[in-house]
Amino acid sequence: MVKVIYIAADGTRTEIDAPEGESVMRVALANDVEGIVGECGGAMMCATCHCYVEPDWAGRTGERVSGEEDMLEGAASEVTQYSRLSCQIPLTGALDGLVVRLPEDQI
Amino acid sequence: MPLAPLDETITITQLIDDPYPIYRRLRAEAPVMRVASVKRTLLTKADLTRAVKDNPLLFSSNDPNTPMRPALRAHTLMRKDGPEHMAERMAMMPAFSPKRIQTDWAPLYEQLAQDYIARLPRGEVVDLFATLCGPLAARILAHILGIPEATDAEMQRWSQRIIDGAGNFGWKPELFALSDEANDEMDALFDRLAPQRIADADGTAYSVMLTAANPIPMSQIYANLKIAIGGGINEPRDALATVLFGLLDNPDQLAEVRAQEAWGKAFEEAIRWVAPIQVSSRLVTEDTELGGFDIPKGETVMTVQASANRDEDLYENGEEFFVFRDKNPHQAFGNGPHHCAGAHIARRTVGKIILPMLFDRFPDMRLVDRDLVAWKGFGFRGPINLPVILN
Repeated sequence: MVKVIYIAADGTRTEIDAPEGESVMRVALANDVEGIVGECGGAMMCATCHCYVEPDWAGRTGERVSGEEDMLEGAASEVTQYSRLSCQIPLTGALDGLVVRLPEDQI
Repeated sequence: MPLAPLDETITITQLIDDPYPIYRRLRAEAPVMRVASVKRTLLTKADLTRAVKDNPLLFSSNDPNTPMRPALRAHTLMRKDGPEHMAERMAMMPAFSPKRIQTDWAPLYEQLAQDYIARLPRGEVVDLFATLCGPLAARILAHILGIPEATDAEMQRWSQRIIDGAGNFGWKPELFALSDEANDEMDALFDRLAPQRIADADGTAYSVMLTAANPIPMSQIYANLKIAIGGGINEPRDALATVLFGLLDNPDQLAEVRAQEAWGKAFEEAIRWVAPIQVSSRLVTEDTELGGFDIPKGETVMTVQASANRDEDLYENGEEFFVFRDKNPHQAFGNGPHHCAGAHIARRTVGKIILPMLFDRFPDMRLVDRDLVAWKGFGFRGPINLPVILN
């Protein structure tokens, strides 16, 4: 299990212990974390699982995958260099303690 | 494992008139059911419909042999999977992004909504379905696609003929004759407008597709525009009519929505309650199983998102319109690679612009009689009239 910490736009902090291999989006949905919609289910088609990876962690979550950049263009909130689609971040042992911030709006 | 049970009693007419009691029974008794009249295996629980759409390798959209092909004179992205679907979809997506809508379109849409609302007569019975929901949806779409030269009547006629043709599983020639005529008219307009959309490039879907660095083939640009016309008018029209009915029929909820400015929530609840697109079909590519039954390769399963959206496992009182539910993980926009490309546009135009404007303008709007409102549709569903009095 690895720990993921979600910080909502209003500052609410939710810590979840999640199995490796799951995506940051799926873990949020499975645990009713407010602020991630994930409407398309991880097909990279809706941009409603947008998150900001905490800068300290950005190196470990890796690069945006092919197509992610284009889809982020469709995100409802501001996109920064730390923006990712959380469906494209699979949890690994190296991400134990990962912190992601959630945007104000997803739709 | 056994094959799914076979039903030979449910008729298409029943499904068109009022499918919800049937879906409620199927959810309880047989969430995987082969329905003879529909020639499909109906899936009525939310976990099943979601799982099918999330797995395009096993449950494919790629079926070139549906009536959609003659109806649009093209094999379109709706019926493709993988990289081909992706390329055609992404060619159009920049025009539909929330940012583009906010920066390029919001002021125009507000103006259009204002104009159409201002035309409505006061103090008499007016059918908002015919006078507002359809024409305004058509006008907004014409602009975003980059074909504002098309009239509201043309847009609505083309859209309906595409839909009737694409749903022509009886392969009646007269329906394809009508869709052919619409195709001729659309092709002529697209031909005429292309040079201008290239010369004065803008953020419209047509212009974006024409001027892309690596444009998709012209045939697919046309097919994309036609799919958007077929799929982009009735849905926002029906969503708007449904949310108006829901709010006007529940004055307490309307008051609360107004107080909280929860128009977006009201929109989401309306499309959960009566999803404008009620069902989708997927072709099974390998022998598999669903809900404890064998599903053989070559069968077509039908995800009934209309039913998933009222699934007792997810919703309390799912049959009721109730804006202020705790959670609303509805599947009205679908999921998986074919998740509705117009979701952001619909949410922004109907939820953020049209609804608040309409209730601001007509605070005392009321239904003439809820029983006068007729509902219809199996594949697509919504009210087919909405008589109200505006004051």
